[in-house]
Amino acid sequence: MARSRRDQELPHAPLHVFLGLATLVTVYPVLWVVSIAFSGRQTLAIADVPSDPTFLQRLRAVVPWPQQWSTANFTSVMTDQPFGRWVLNSVVVAIFTTLLGIFLSCTAAYAFSRFKFPGRRAGMMSFLISQMFPGVLTLIPLYIIMVQVLGLGNSRLGMIIVYAATSIPFSVWMLKGYFDTIPKELEEAAIIEGASAGTIFWRIVLPLAKPAVAITALFSFMTSWNEFILAATFMDKEDMYTAPVGLRFFVGGFSQQWGYFAAGSIIVSIPVVVLFLYLQKYLVSGLTAGSVKG
Amino acid sequence: MTAPSHRLRFLAGLVLAGGLAAWLAHGFASDARRRVAADGEVRRAVVALRAVTSLVESSGGEGDGARRAVVAWQAGAPGVVQLRVARGMQLEASSAAGDAGGQAAPRRLAREEKPLYDRAQRIATAVRTNREEQGGRKDEVEVERLPSGGLSLAAPLDLDGAPVGIVELETAPLPPAPSTPWWPFLLAVLVPAAAFGLVMLLAGQRRAVLAVAATFLLAASLFVLSRGTVARIGEERRQAAASVAERVREQASLVRSASVSLGLPASAADPAGWDVDPFRRPRGEVASDGSVVETRREAAVEEEVRHLGRSLLAAALLALALLLLIGLGAFHRLGRTIKVNRQAYVYIAPALLGMMVLVFYPFTYGITLSFTDSNIYNTQKPLADLWVGLRNYGDILGDFAFAKKVEGGFVFNYLNFYWTLLFNVFWTVTNVTIGVTSGLLLALVLNTRALALRPVYRVLLILPWAMPNYITALIWKGMFHQQFGIINQLFQMVGLQAVNWFDHPFTSFLAALTTNAWLSFPFMMVVSLGALQSIPADLYEAARVDGASRWQAFRAITLPSLRPALVPAVILSVVWTFNMFNIIYLVTAGDPGGSTEILITQAYKFAFERYRYGYAAAYSVVIFGILLVYGVFQNRYSKATEA
Repeated sequence: MARSRRDQELPHAPLHVFLGLATLVTVYPVLWVVSIAFSGRQTLAIADVPSDPTFLQRLRAVVPWPQQWSTANFTSVMTDQPFGRWVLNSVVVAIFTTLLGIFLSCTAAYAFSRFKFPGRRAGMMSFLISQMFPGVLTLIPLYIIMVQVLGLGNSRLGMIIVYAATSIPFSVWMLKGYFDTIPKELEEAAIIEGASAGTIFWRIVLPLAKPAVAITALFSFMTSWNEFILAATFMDKEDMYTAPVGLRFFVGGFSQQWGYFAAGSIIVSIPVVVLFLYLQKYLVSGLTAGSVKG
Repeated sequence: MTAPSHRLRFLAGLVLAGGLAAWLAHGFASDARRRVAADGEVRRAVVALRAVTSLVESSGGEGDGARRAVVAWQAGAPGVVQLRVARGMQLEASSAAGDAGGQAAPRRLAREEKPLYDRAQRIATAVRTNREEQGGRKDEVEVERLPSGGLSLAAPLDLDGAPVGIVELETAPLPPAPSTPWWPFLLAVLVPAAAFGLVMLLAGQRRAVLAVAATFLLAASLFVLSRGTVARIGEERRQAAASVAERVREQASLVRSASVSLGLPASAADPAGWDVDPFRRPRGEVASDGSVVETRREAAVEEEVRHLGRSLLAAALLALALLLLIGLGAFHRLGRTIKVNRQAYVYIAPALLGMMVLVFYPFTYGITLSFTDSNIYNTQKPLADLWVGLRNYGDILGDFAFAKKVEGGFVFNYLNFYWTLLFNVFWTVTNVTIGVTSGLLLALVLNTRALALRPVYRVLLILPWAMPNYITALIWKGMFHQQFGIINQLFQMVGLQAVNWFDHPFTSFLAALTTNAWLSFPFMMVVSLGALQSIPADLYEAARVDGASRWQAFRAITLPSLRPALVPAVILSVVWTFNMFNIIYLVTAGDPGGSTEILITQAYKFAFERYRYGYAAAYSVVIFGILLVYGVFQNRYSKATEA
């Protein structure tokens, strides 16, 4: 009897050891950033290592615990450094990108879901294929259009337009899938009652689709919040940087302000990490469902 | 609903399409004529400038000799407003209106004459640069339009083969650009329309006959029109060549007579070398005796004609397409479709417009760019002038120079496309393998029933996926720092040497691999965990009853159940990793020497660090092609496995 139980279940202790190690490796870089951020210094090292260190001193240098706790990096990154402005840029860009992108995607997804019209299939397919365009290929013409033709380099508006347009395909596919699940009878009933198409969309379908819209909006927000390449290419004036470009500014090239970087990273990451942990189950089902269908 | 008359539709199509073609053709033709006329004027002015330069050079290039040469030359050269010779800070000679009396040359350049000094410096630099690079990139002969309508030209003054100053010449206002009359273009529309009127009477409503007739009439009329226009351009180009040759003969005799009267040695300069391009390379269209070299001229005419002919052909094709679209009722039907489905299109229009302008148009533009030699020096020019056909693709795909021979061995050529591709594939395969293995392993362990702290482990293990990946990249870059990085501290703690991670391709790769593995395993873990939890426990129960071992149960139950979830996840993760720009760009930055570059970062660097836009675009198209091929194969494969 005892033997068969062991057959069924492995002992838990080694599993805990294994998981503990894996978690340690996973969490270590995060702890490292936290200790640099709270060290109050700009260096990469957690602790100073003398020129001829003992084993203990070396061990001290890898333990993610600052030598002394200080919030100096947080206060000065927000006051002495233009980081507050960069975060503001990111917030403005991300919020308006989300609003614009969601508005465009909702209407388009609704049409794709509800109306039969010539070009429907082609439209959906072209949205899907556009996801395969290599970013760099469209980056050069986008740069020419936005910066050289429209003069929207170094402008939040330019970033908002570009991000919103690039977020459309993903959002449309997510939302269309949800609209498809809303029973058509509701709308038919409304039509009989004499509701116009606009009323049906705004007053009936959108409120029903609220959860899907909210989730799509949050993904759209996270994507523009985390975007780096486009922002780095379009925003070359220091006060127009977004947070990602600004963080890289702290530690790119010859700049070595790791304390500011760490503090800034924590400020920037917390909202998205929280959002992500809340949203990840939708992301997984959405992504895998999409690729199975496609 | 009554069908509108085929006759009227074709007539409208003919007029509209013909009108469009005529309008475009007029634009192209007048552009071409203006360009030919302006080029001719510039070349004539350049000949004069080069002639006087050679006279000044043979007079020794300074002092009274140079001044007398300038005076003698200008007496015989009408149409020249002023001439200045500058060497360094010194104005050697000048015939400008203000430079008389106390201001007369020779004297130091005044403060407000700085533009002349700058110009001399610029030209001297251009000469040296071109000589070093053995080619032409910077203008040695500068031509500017003056507000008065004349030209201001400057060319280097060479003594003993080195630029010592410049000669600058200002011409009188040029004759106005030729205007192109409208009537031939109007006729090209009216004549076929009138002829089609006759056909309409005869053919009635037979659609095929009408279509053929309208197409034929429009094509014939546009053919005649473009023949005429092209012939005219050729003629004007020949006239321009003749007038340049005439200017060369004039100048040759002027220089000869001036040399005699000043008692200078006969100039050694060859008049054939006066007609030059901006890089002082003779065009070769005029011979030493001032006659036109017919073969060269005809080649130039041919070039001009082909250029215009191509534009006209495009206009004609566009017009024919429009004619057929209108005539066969496509526009009519399109209009009706839009009307019927108005609501749907209104809902889609905003999104579609945004996608068109910011996604599809850039994509098409990028593909066009890939056939050109566009780079930072020539962004102003129209793409048609930079067309190089498939050359970029040839350069990328046809370059098999993997290694360069240097003293004592070989050096890998990391800029080579195939090297980058190979590395990119290796990078993808290693990453996905590690991601799947570690993710699956952790999922299996986490799936153990009644394991304490399971939700805590799960949240902590997902953390890397939640972090923005550019931050992850920068964190790991810091941890791999040679002197202060944690990784090297750990190495030293256990008695190993500190490694300079980004100094060797392999260690650099390891650094990027570690970073990417860290951030990519949670995705696989979450996907596998979801699939594992959906496997009904009865299956294992049944297997146990049947006496299957743990391994057998894994092989027969777990793996097949994971498959539907894992296959799409792997497909997705292959594409993500293949294009993982942020990790490579921020962690290794391609170090050392571009060896750890993947295709997408390489393309980015060609565009935004080496500024070769056309080449970078071709590079990206190749990447797109690779992904497309992968997509098609993957689709086949997953279909085959589903069946």
